[in-house]
Amino acid sequence: MSLLHLCFYSSYTLSGLGLAFHRTHLISALLCLESMMLSMYIALSMWPVENQTMSPALIPILMLTFSACEAGTGLAMLVASTRTHGSDHLHNLNLLQC
Amino acid sequence: MEITLLLNTSMLLTLTIILTPTLLPLLSKTYRNSPTTITRTVKAAFLTSLVPMSLFTYCNTESITSSWEWKFITNFKIPLSFKMDQYSMMFFPIALFVTWSILQFATWYMAMEPHITKFFSYLLMFLIAMLTLTIANNMFLLFIGWEGVGIMSFLLIGWWHGRAEANTAALQAVLYNRIGDIGLILNMAWLASTTNSWEIQLSHSPQTPILPLLGLILAATGKSAQFGLHPWLPAAMEGPTPVSALLHSSTMVVAGIFLLIRTHPILTTNQTALTTCLCLGALSTLFAAICALTQNDIKKIIAFSTSSQLGLMMVTIGLDLPQLAFLHISTHAFFKAMLFLCSGSIIHCLGGEQDIRKMGGLQKTLPTTTSCLTIGNLALMGTPFLAGFYSKDLIIENLNTSYVNTWALLLTLLATTFTATYSLRMTLLVQTGSTRIPTLTPMNENNPMASNPITRLATGSILAGLLISSIIPPTKTPPMTMPITTKTTAIIITILGIILALELSSMTHTLTQPKQGTYSNFSSTLGYFNPLTHRSSSTKLLNNGQQIAQNLIDSSWYKKMGPEGLADLQQTTAKITTTLHSGLIKTYLGSFALSILITALLTH
Repeated sequence: MSLLHLCFYSSYTLSGLGLAFHRTHLISALLCLESMMLSMYIALSMWPVENQTMSPALIPILMLTFSACEAGTGLAMLVASTRTHGSDHLHNLNLLQC
Repeated sequence: MEITLLLNTSMLLTLTIILTPTLLPLLSKTYRNSPTTITRTVKAAFLTSLVPMSLFTYCNTESITSSWEWKFITNFKIPLSFKMDQYSMMFFPIALFVTWSILQFATWYMAMEPHITKFFSYLLMFLIAMLTLTIANNMFLLFIGWEGVGIMSFLLIGWWHGRAEANTAALQAVLYNRIGDIGLILNMAWLASTTNSWEIQLSHSPQTPILPLLGLILAATGKSAQFGLHPWLPAAMEGPTPVSALLHSSTMVVAGIFLLIRTHPILTTNQTALTTCLCLGALSTLFAAICALTQNDIKKIIAFSTSSQLGLMMVTIGLDLPQLAFLHISTHAFFKAMLFLCSGSIIHCLGGEQDIRKMGGLQKTLPTTTSCLTIGNLALMGTPFLAGFYSKDLIIENLNTSYVNTWALLLTLLATTFTATYSLRMTLLVQTGSTRIPTLTPMNENNPMASNPITRLATGSILAGLLISSIIPPTKTPPMTMPITTKTTAIIITILGIILALELSSMTHTLTQPKQGTYSNFSSTLGYFNPLTHRSSSTKLLNNGQQIAQNLIDSSWYKKMGPEGLADLQQTTAKITTTLHSGLIKTYLGSFALSILITALLTH
């Protein structure tokens, strides 16, 4: 695998694992989601460069747009949960479950 | 060539003479109008207008004058054009004669009025508008005249503006006329967009679509008080009697019929429009005749009789006989105006009493007036060889001999019977029998200003039919042969009506309360039309408006289908899906991590 591909894969995997295993704060999950998005963006941008075709050049922009929406939604949920539970600790969400 | 010049000049001179009382006070500082000057002006105009009429009668000259174009937009020009054909040239002398008599009468009737000059100038302005309407060759000038007569009618009905009923009646007149104006504007719009001209003498296509013709019929319904837009005419009796005599019997209300006569060439092509006119006219004439049977106000009886005769004119239009309708307009003007003037004389002599139940035996005390009243009623009934006979009998004959809707025929015949009935009822109650008036009523009909117009119009009522019908050659062949029953139908049913009236009047010699039955209630409340339509139509319209504005626009578009609706939808979805969660975050995230690792290892 080329160096570039290794960078993408490793950053993506690390971010994904960070999303799965950092379970204290909600915001750490959101940050990992953002870094996953970033690595995907750079990977998609390198694709037309490597294959020397301009057709897929629009795809990273589309992805960026949708990820912006998703980030906004995530932040709204963060704010909402902070307003109701006082902090963004994830264990607050099922504290009262038996 | 000189004859046409003489025709045009004399016609324009007539119009200028009429305009003089409005212009002279503006030009000269010391000139003031007075009722006498205005009456004399109209008399001079009448004498001048006899010249074009004689020219038409003897030399058959007709002309169209067109001057000064208003270049509205590039493609559409509106000339100031006057059409002098048989209708306008015959109408001018008749209208001016009737107006002259009415103005002379009004100098006696309104003598106690402080603003009498203003009253006369209003009547003069009305006359100007009416003559403009008559002589107009294009729809624009006709519309100017149309609106002019509408406004003057409003101002004149509400002349005694301190009286609440007069104001309501004037408002009613304007509103009902406005509904008719929608039809006229529709027709004008269609003409402008399809034929690019508002001239009346167009090259007519063989088939005109029904829409502009319905507009014309709506306009005539509004202005001529056909059934559906009729309540304003009886209510318009709140105005002074000269106003009722001029506007609401001879001139303004025939404007709608006159419009249909003018636009007759396009009306002929469409049989549906003609049938609509026929049925509408038949319904109007019968309805008005029914309503007139139980009226007790003398002016209202005459108003309903006007309404009934207008329906008859509409029936004639529906029979495709515009010339006969015009003949009826001309003869009707004479005897109807005279009836109103007689009633005005009676009302004034009795000190403001308008209820026929409080009149009686006036034949001995007011001989001239009551004789003319009798002549007028006989002419209205279509007595042979008086004025009304020449037009009315011809209409009934044509109705009987043409291929026509039987229902319309029956209604018209029934209305003719009722015409005789209510006229005779009015005559009997007003003139004959023992008197029911208060004892100290000073009755005086010696003033020549009051009796001369009435006798003049009486002469007209007797002679006009013969004169006009012998002067104008008919454009369509009248039916010549028919069975005796058909020929004498009008006479027979009139005599039936007379017998009915005599029979009924002999039943009412005792002063008992009239019994209330279904039919008498229907007749005396004018068919329940006013209470049924006035409230309900406006409430429905406003309700509808509120439904559209509030429920459709505000609630539906802005709330339910807009942002709030979307938010509600999302909330519902979220509420359902939250209950599906079981909350095992660690398991979920663990499986997520596993998927990432597998993906990373697979895409080696």
